[in-house]
Amino acid sequence: MKKRVAVRGFELVAVLLTFLFIFYPANAKAQRPIKVGVIDCYTGPAAVFCYDALNGFKLALDEINKKGVLGTKIEFTTRDDKFKVDIGLSMAKELVMRENVDLLVGTISSSVALAVSDYAKGEKVPFIVWISKSEKITGEKGHRYVFSTGENTAMAGKAAGLALSKKPYIKYWIAGDDYEYGHAIADAVWRNLKALKPTVVKMGETWWKTGEPDLVPYFTSVIGAKPDAFIVCGGGATMTNSLKACKTTGIHEKIPVFMHTATDHAVLKPLGLEAPEGVMGTMDYHFYYPDTPANKAFVKAFQDAYGAPPGFPAFHGYTTAHFIAEAFRKAGAIDKEKFINALEGMVIDSPAGKIEMRTCDHQAVLPMYLGVTKKVPQYDFLISGDIVTLTGKDVMPSCEEIMKARGK
Amino acid sequence: MDFSAFSSQFLVGLSRAMILFVVCAGLSFVLGVLRVPNIAHGSLYMIGAFATFTLTKLIAGSTGFWIALIVAPLLVALVSLIAERALFCHLYQREHLMLLLFTFAISLILGDLVKIVWGAEYRSVAAPALLKGTISILGVSLPRYNLFLIIIGPLVAIALWLFTNKTRIGKISRAAAVDREMVGTLGINVSWVFAIAFIIGCYLAGLGGALIAPTVSITLGMDHTLIIEAFLIVTIGGLGNMWGALVGSLIFGVTQSLGVLFWPQFAIVFPYAAVVIVLLLRPKGLLKSVW
Repeated sequence: MKKRVAVRGFELVAVLLTFLFIFYPANAKAQRPIKVGVIDCYTGPAAVFCYDALNGFKLALDEINKKGVLGTKIEFTTRDDKFKVDIGLSMAKELVMRENVDLLVGTISSSVALAVSDYAKGEKVPFIVWISKSEKITGEKGHRYVFSTGENTAMAGKAAGLALSKKPYIKYWIAGDDYEYGHAIADAVWRNLKALKPTVVKMGETWWKTGEPDLVPYFTSVIGAKPDAFIVCGGGATMTNSLKACKTTGIHEKIPVFMHTATDHAVLKPLGLEAPEGVMGTMDYHFYYPDTPANKAFVKAFQDAYGAPPGFPAFHGYTTAHFIAEAFRKAGAIDKEKFINALEGMVIDSPAGKIEMRTCDHQAVLPMYLGVTKKVPQYDFLISGDIVTLTGKDVMPSCEEIMKARGK
Repeated sequence: MDFSAFSSQFLVGLSRAMILFVVCAGLSFVLGVLRVPNIAHGSLYMIGAFATFTLTKLIAGSTGFWIALIVAPLLVALVSLIAERALFCHLYQREHLMLLLFTFAISLILGDLVKIVWGAEYRSVAAPALLKGTISILGVSLPRYNLFLIIIGPLVAIALWLFTNKTRIGKISRAAAVDREMVGTLGINVSWVFAIAFIIGCYLAGLGGALIAPTVSITLGMDHTLIIEAFLIVTIGGLGNMWGALVGSLIFGVTQSLGVLFWPQFAIVFPYAAVVIVLLLRPKGLLKSVW
């Protein structure tokens, strides 16, 4: 009699366990979080921008994860590429093969971006670039698996060309950081300017070692050459150095100076009220412009969370998170190919208005704000003044141009 | 070639050479007296610059900079005194490779300490009101601060010369550089001579950092760029020779600046090309070496 009861009890437990094993895996699939692998430079001068992007990303994720995506949350893990291509690439491999991330995000260095993009293409893992600005990323080296939520050198070049072609300057001197991005932005600006105003002449070029701290001798030599205008091309940190050298040598008072990102907050902030006034610049995000309720809300939330206003990297990080969430929601599953299909052509709301992820090249359609550095009483740093807005449509290369560049 | 462009470039190069001289004089002094190739010298220069930044933030206005110019090198000297008494003085008997590796380790530690204390962001120090803007000398435009540097350099050189030739400690240091055993035999505490020489050398590194602060963005990594240049200058000038440091700095600073004018794409090559030429012609350095 006892034996039979024991056997029945055991059978009951066995049946229960079997049911659990059948149903558990199905639950696990919906509960597994979406994993994002972030590769960026968290050491050295570039770290400031990368932390800004990460903070914008985290702020958006806090909002997104409250509602959840596909019944689960978006998680991320970061890796430091130290601005080096080999390290960035090995981090990408580790994230894809060991961490099994659903997509990769990041990079400030255009060289790292291009390397990781190539790897992502081979592994068929989506990669969203959020700071790197080389136009090759979504241009000639673009493909199905790479997206960009940041502006690029083609857009900045076209904006600069449009702006400078309206000015009376003929003889230009170009200078900058001697690396991929420095040359890319110089080529883009010159190409567009020459196309719009064929009479312009390049008097000379000066290229210094990337990150060169003392630019005074280079600037004084340009003063000696007496061009009509001076274009400086370089990464964020060099821009701060260049503005400092402008102030020291007074070049901007004698010769009009144009620098892409001169009006960026991260570039102007370290110099405080010592930054030079009257330097022309372009930027795709300002925390104080446009002064819309959406932008104000974003800036306030960012300021409360991180103690400082957001820069353009934070804006891109924020929009990237929203693009990711909306694309997964539209795709309906944590599937890489469905994610890409959903992301193409997607339009999201951002602090600066609606942003579209263009289908033909996977480039976010962003505006360019052309401005001039200016002191204002309410801040102890300079801001961009006399802002002229160029829409994404004005400054982006057409889909035909992109396809031609990709050799299709 | 425009005369005013050439002279303004030359003067800018001269001012840069003066900062290099202040730093290299310190390095050369330490190298001569202690026979220690102090790779941490660059880190101390960087600490001097960052300390200047903090002091100018604490004390607003132009006086902040002048006070920083006096206090920051003293802070660096204090740091070096602690390092010397706690760590270095036990190692003087070891061979040079040990000391080199040790100072290299210290430079890495100091570099990371700077990152912990001040963070990775770029910092900027404003020139004092007196030295802002440019000044025109005989039609040549030069930033005022660079003119200040051209004046300071020779003053430091004279001060250092007076110290080593006219004060008792200075003369003992020179003697210790040539023959430390004999100095010890004469009953002089060689250990304290070394400490003083080390502190003075590091003070000069800090002073160099404080002087360069208003002209460049203060960043991590400025120690690495400087120490390579400093060692090259000290080598071509003659190890342990202060006037050699001056000559080397002039060659380096001026070729760098004029290189930018004549051949901007290859400007960075000029000073190193000059170093190679000097070492090919005079491998022991231009002036007499103490070693």
